[in-house]
Order: sequence, then C-alpha cells, then structure tokens
Amino acid sequence: MAHTAMNPDDALRKPLPAPDADSAAFWAGMREGRLLLQHCLACGHVQYYQQGICRVCGSDRLEHRAASGRGVVYSYSVVHRAPGPAFKADTPYALLLVELGEGPRMVSSLVDGDHAAVTIGMAVELVFDPVTDQVTLPRFRPVRAGS
Amino acid sequence: MKRTLRGRTAIIGAGRSQVGRVPDRSPLLLAADATQAALADAGLAKTDIDGVLASPALAAPFHRFSVAFSEYLGIQPTFSNTLQVSGATAATQFNIAAAAIAGGLAETILIVGADSLLTGLTPDLALRALTESRDQQYEMPFGIPVANTFAMTALRHMHEYGTTAEQLAMVAVIEREHAARTPGAQMTAPITVDDVLNSGWVTTPYHKLDCSLISDGGAAFIVTSAERARALGVAKPVYILGGGECYTHEHIFLMPSLTTTGAVRSSAKAYAMAGCTPAEIDVAGVYDCFTGTVIMMLEDLGFCPKGEGGRFVADRQMTYGGAIPCNTHGGLLSFAHSGMPGSLFHFDEIVHQLRGECGERQVDGAELALVHSLGGGFATQATTILGTAATL
Repeated sequence: MAHTAMNPDDALRKPLPAPDADSAAFWAGMREGRLLLQHCLACGHVQYYQQGICRVCGSDRLEHRAASGRGVVYSYSVVHRAPGPAFKADTPYALLLVELGEGPRMVSSLVDGDHAAVTIGMAVELVFDPVTDQVTLPRFRPVRAGS
Repeated sequence: MKRTLRGRTAIIGAGRSQVGRVPDRSPLLLAADATQAALADAGLAKTDIDGVLASPALAAPFHRFSVAFSEYLGIQPTFSNTLQVSGATAATQFNIAAAAIAGGLAETILIVGADSLLTGLTPDLALRALTESRDQQYEMPFGIPVANTFAMTALRHMHEYGTTAEQLAMVAVIEREHAARTPGAQMTAPITVDDVLNSGWVTTPYHKLDCSLISDGGAAFIVTSAERARALGVAKPVYILGGGECYTHEHIFLMPSLTTTGAVRSSAKAYAMAGCTPAEIDVAGVYDCFTGTVIMMLEDLGFCPKGEGGRFVADRQMTYGGAIPCNTHGGLLSFAHSGMPGSLFHFDEIVHQLRGECGERQVDGAELALVHSLGGGFATQATTILGTAATL
C-alpha cells in the first residue's frame, strides 16, 4: 500500500495552508493585513491563485498589489454536514465564492453575519482572520449600510 | 486520412460485482468478481487480456492499482495504466482503450474499477479522502470538500435560470423509480419530491436525497478490436463510436462559468466523431453525483436548451416516454456509487440496454447511447458514445 498512517488527531485540526515558492509572499502579505493579487504587467490580467507566470499571456512580469477588499457573493453554500470533525462545531456555516472588485474569484467563508441571510450578489468586505501566529485567512462579512 | 476511433473497437463483455454494502470483499476481490463476470460474458479467458486500464481505489491505495490487480488476477499484460481524473475516469477508460487498440498498443483490454467506500475505509483512509480532495491552500482551510463545489454551481444555476428545489428533487425521484426495477440496486424504496425536500440539509441547496450514495462495488469490461469481435463471433458487440474530454479548471474559483461546463466541448467532440446529434441518442448514462448535476449536464450535452434542464426533468423527459431516458439502472443516486468506479455502472447499464437485455427496464429500440462522466466539481469531463452494429 502506498500511504503511511496519518495521526488521528489530524482529523480534529482544520487544514492550514502550507506556503510554497509560488505562494510564500501571498501568505506573508496576509499576515501583514494585505491580500495580494498578482497583476500582469504585460497584459493586465489579475489573478488570485498565486503562480510564477500569468495564466493568460505567460509573462513572468507579475506585480503584487493589495486588493481593495470589496467584492460580491458570486455563489455560496450553507454547510450543515461538516467535512470532517474539525468543522463540525462551526455548522451551519456559509461558504462563499466571492468575486473581488478587481475581477478574480476566491473561496472564503462568512464571518460577522447571518448564514441564512446570504444571497447571490450580496456585497461583502474582506476581514483578516489570524487563525494562528503564522496563518491569517481571508474571510468576508456583509457590507453594512453606510460603511 | 481522417483520424477517428469510430467503430474500430467494441465492448464484448461486461460484468459487475455485488454492490451496496459488501463488507466481506476487498476492492481487489470486487474487481476480480467483476472481471470474471465480464470474461464469462465475453466467452474469453484471463489469458486473452493483454491490456488493463483501471481506476484507483481509495480503500486499496496502491500506487499502481492496475499493476497490483493484474498480479491479483494472475496475468502479465503488455499494456497497463491506472487513470485518475476523478469521476470522469470511467469514460476516459473507454476512450483510451479504444485509442490504444486502434493504435496497436493492445488487442484486448480489461477496463476495471472497484472500491469499498461504504465498508472498506479505515478512519485513516476516510480522513485522507476528506482532507485531500481539494486545494490545501485556497480551498480546504475554509471547510470546502468537493460536495460544496457542486452545491455552489447548483445555487448559481437556480439564481440564473430559476431552477427550483422541486425540480432538483425530481431527478432523485425518477432515478429511484428506475432503481426499483434494477436487481441488486442499493436503494429501491419509492420516494417523493417531499421526501427529498424533507430529508435534511447536507449543504444548500442539497438535501440528503439530492446526494449520491456511498457504496462498495466494482465493474469490468472487455474491449477489443472490431475485427477480433467479428472473428470471435460475438453476438452483440457494442461499438465505441466517439469520445471526447475537456478539462477547464482545477479550483472551483477558476471555473470559467458555474453553469456551463466543459461537457459542452467534451460531448461536441464525441458527437462529431460518432457522426450523430443529441436528438439521435436513444438512451444515456449521465453522471449524477447530485441531482443538480444531471440538470446541468442534460443542458450541456445538448438534450435540452441551457436553462431548461429543471423544467425538462420536471416534465419527465429523462425517463421512459420522454426525450432521453437517463440512468435507467438508478445511477449514482439510487443504484450505487463506489467512487471512481461509480460511472462504470452507467456503462454496464448502457451495454445491456444496447444488447436489449434489460427486461422491464428496456428502452425500446435502443441502438445509440451516450455516457458522460465528470468529476472534481465539474473540473473533469469525459463523454463516450456507443452503438449497436446497426449504427456503424
């Protein structure tokens, strides 16, 4: 068989991103309170998923710029049955597919809001959630009137 | 010379294991059960197999499942691979088998897949299945396994086209009707739309009965050249007429459209190779991991216009007497879903439909059929078109 056993305690821990060469700067930016998007200096394409080349034109002239943090809910799903023990206490929670003002979409989850009130097209704003000393996750909350 | 696989290979044997809860048989033994049934169906011996194309098994995580299974079966093939494009793997097994035989890499290929998702996963393997299914940096930290990616596409489809929860539920109701007529199906008790809507949330918009089953089981097929099928005197060869695939993204947030998928292109390639149109297909096997998946695929495969899938299903167009009877065995929703082999059961049903062997489930005049497999939150798409000798 191919695999060695995992530690059973892993089931109780939420998975955390392990930055790689493509993403180290992104996760460092998150710790500093900036969500860094890659802007292609050759063709103008903006990408969230961090990689060494532009997905449209192939250029490696990519520049990190902090996102505005504004977006809308492109789609979502309210999770009632958790994907494993680590997320059980959080249910029900709203998973979001957010379309950022700059164009890219990203997966996140709702904070500071009612999961039952989420709608497609709802305006949301970025919240920096320091889940450990090393990892800050991007989450979103509803944009409140007047904010 | 025009390059095509049309009619150059045929399925000459099909077999499956017991499905559902099968705790006393390993994935390898389930695969052996299916293989021996397929060989008996073809009238061949295991020594006639010179190629093996397998899907991997979560409950038997060999690095090389096709090689491990060949050893288990006691054969030494000269062509072998274990394919892995999630739920789409099944149709790719047929497409690649056809290409390998047409290109001379093998003469008689065993297509096989089996897994024990219901009773064979240790807590450790179940944990891997949960935590390793999506991207570790940009998806999993938020608690999003593959089911939620399908859920988000369905909610978007409801938003864009007015598809309703009742229309989604009808897919489950119809497939359960089909399973009730299928010997050995895992779930056969009749259900209503209200039953689906009252079965409890899993992840919106999906209730428990909108979701496919978790099963043990496997299936196997013998594919050979059309020439060899004729030389063997096979009574009812099922010809591979066309194949197509499409891979649009890996991450759900990079899916180009949440409501129009790569199935448009995979099926267009298959239709072009087979030389037919959607309207000419008599019976179909459509990947049905969730109810909404079927609705979107009926559109993308060309059986109804984009956005009309919900009404098409509610109008009972996907069953007997409708435009395209689908998943007449009960599908992943009611027959069985043992993971990557799940879509092989659609092929098993289609082979028997095209041979006219389905008894009370038989679709009258079934000559031309389509099977569509997909996976990874619509990331992977593969289509195969099959037909009887009359369609050559």
